[in-house]
Amino acid sequence: MPDPMTRPARAEARLGWLLVSPALGLILLVSLGPILATTWEALHGHDLRLPWLGRPFIGLANFVEAAGDPRFLAALARTVAFAAVSVPIELALGLALALVMHATVRGRALVRVAALLPWAIPTVVAALIWRFIFDAQAGILTASLRDLGAIDAAFDWLVHPVAAWVPIIGADVWKTTPFVAILLLAGLQTIDPALDEAARIDGAGAVRRFATITLPLVGPALVVAAAFRTLDALRLFDLAYVLTGGGPGTATEPLSLYAFIALMQRLRFGYGSALSVTVFLLTFACALIWVRALGRLDRYAAPNEDSGPVAGPHSGPSKGI
Amino acid sequence: MSVRRGSRLFTLALVAACASACGGRVDHASRLSFSGSALGPEAEVLRGQLARFDEAHPDVRVELRVTPDAADQRHQLYVQWLTGRASEPDVLQLDVIWTAEFAAAGWILPLEAFGPDVEDFFTAAAEAARWEGRLVAIPWFVDVGLLYWRTDLMDAAPRSLAALREAARGSIEAGATRLGLVWQGARYEGLITVFLEHLAAFGGGILDAEGRVIVDEPPALRALTFMRDAVSGGGFVPSSALTWQEEQVRFAFQNGDAAFMRNWPYAWTLLQDAARSRVAGRVSVAPLPAADDGRPAAALGGAQLAVNAHSANPSLAWELVAFLTAPEQMLERARLAGQLPPRRSLYETRALEEALPIPIAQVREVIDVAVPRPVTPVYSELSEILQVRVHRALTGQQAPEAALRDAAREMRELLARSGL
Repeated sequence: MPDPMTRPARAEARLGWLLVSPALGLILLVSLGPILATTWEALHGHDLRLPWLGRPFIGLANFVEAAGDPRFLAALARTVAFAAVSVPIELALGLALALVMHATVRGRALVRVAALLPWAIPTVVAALIWRFIFDAQAGILTASLRDLGAIDAAFDWLVHPVAAWVPIIGADVWKTTPFVAILLLAGLQTIDPALDEAARIDGAGAVRRFATITLPLVGPALVVAAAFRTLDALRLFDLAYVLTGGGPGTATEPLSLYAFIALMQRLRFGYGSALSVTVFLLTFACALIWVRALGRLDRYAAPNEDSGPVAGPHSGPSKGI
Repeated sequence: MSVRRGSRLFTLALVAACASACGGRVDHASRLSFSGSALGPEAEVLRGQLARFDEAHPDVRVELRVTPDAADQRHQLYVQWLTGRASEPDVLQLDVIWTAEFAAAGWILPLEAFGPDVEDFFTAAAEAARWEGRLVAIPWFVDVGLLYWRTDLMDAAPRSLAALREAARGSIEAGATRLGLVWQGARYEGLITVFLEHLAAFGGGILDAEGRVIVDEPPALRALTFMRDAVSGGGFVPSSALTWQEEQVRFAFQNGDAAFMRNWPYAWTLLQDAARSRVAGRVSVAPLPAADDGRPAAALGGAQLAVNAHSANPSLAWELVAFLTAPEQMLERARLAGQLPPRRSLYETRALEEALPIPIAQVREVIDVAVPRPVTPVYSELSEILQVRVHRALTGQQAPEAALRDAAREMRELLARSGL
């Protein structure tokens, strides 16, 4: 018994769905499709090199194998450690850079372009540049350090299991700090200068103003930047692939690189898919945590919104003013 | 209306395209496709030879499918095609280490039915072309690991590994060269060829004749310990070599920085180019010498030709294989691309001596002691396990004994899992 009042509305809704369905279908096809297909593949024993074993359904056996695979567990720990080290450095430097860009009055455009340059360089090219810098024979850095007597003549960054991380983290920080800075700059620009002015008149020093006004108000932007960077860091692949190939041994092999090796070199499609799904679940869980953190921060920041136009770049139109 | 007209046009175009395509196949030549590496001089040789095959077979057209030059990528592409049961390419260029894998998967045809004659081929090369006793590919060219040594620094190649070590150290201490020996030490397939040569030099191996893992036995431990000591402090191989592949190794030797180099034959011509090389005319080659309990050895590489099991025209595909692996074509390849022919009889001819840039007697000596890598469908995985463990041992992250024990365990697990 359709309600006559809503019939046109319903028809309109139906039309609406009909019109967006191609786009929705496409989104499902390109985003959800591969994820589901990979998950399904992860539940099978499938090795392209061993076609005589077929492709039997083996449930969670691939995931159980991963849980007992020392190379996987080490890669997992390594990836998390990389994120834990590189992201805070990027946030700190990015905030400093954003403050400089925000304060710059003359040559603003020039400063911003210069700051953004590393971000514009493709990661693979950046990795190659850093590889040359750290090259043991001809690298600028290695040669200078050797001339200064700071390192041994035979020292090679890329052969040392811990030192090999230096160019990887260095390249990551160098390349993504501008991205963080731009996000934070957007946050800084939404802060009403009147607040700072008022605090100054009340006699607050620069440090006090930064700690009590700038930092809390740029907080949401900071969380957004941290979220983006953590997710990227957990998916680390190209820098390690180009700079060290995961070596020496597997000392710099992140999760994504191991998944790639399992899939594309060993051609273990089932196991490799299970590893890929694990990477996906890890980043997804991390994304959820950040989204919740952002929500909490919003609630905390909400009273401020009454006192001025300080909404961060994250604030959607749904937030009442 | 315009939509309808458009769709009608489209249908017409489709029909026309199909008609011309299908007609083309029926009326004119049968098509045959070939895929392999076609870079630089190799491409020239290949295109010329395929054109001559076309001329000799007016009803056939061979199409060259260029594949990535990086072996790993070409392998991936092949696997994608062949698991999809593609009928093309009809003829495949295989790296020696893939042959067993492709044969075990049923992707390439056994060739006995075509009556091939492989008597003339070097034993190691022919062995690598067999799977479970059946011939599944024809050797096309061989690659062998060579020890390049400087004739201006010494009178003869060292006769033992100990002598090699002393000569390399002596060269560094005398200030004649900055580095002693350079080899491919990055974590990749090249490292395994170097390791294999050391294994043979110490009388060990990766798998035995029955396919059992023997890489954790004493000779292997001695081999790996020797390599580890060579790259450690006070050794004679630079630790940077642990990030080097063929080209970085060649640069170091070519610039006169090293007394010895382990590399493939391709380096010879480049080293003799006086415009670019500081060691032109001062280089000779030998096999890697033996330790007390082993034999001199060289890793066998190279390529073979095989016929796709799903080829629409296997006998024609075989004809192409037979043509490309005939002595004349091999001679031409040797002359233009510097690649060594796997046919023994050619080494008795003046023609090859004139064609090859590298002294034939020296090369022949190395080919005679060449050892193939394990012939198994899971070779690449075995190799990957070894690459990681050997590299860990060489970079001091694991003791050689523990590294080999772990490698052997992982390799046994893999063999058990793969049902071999």
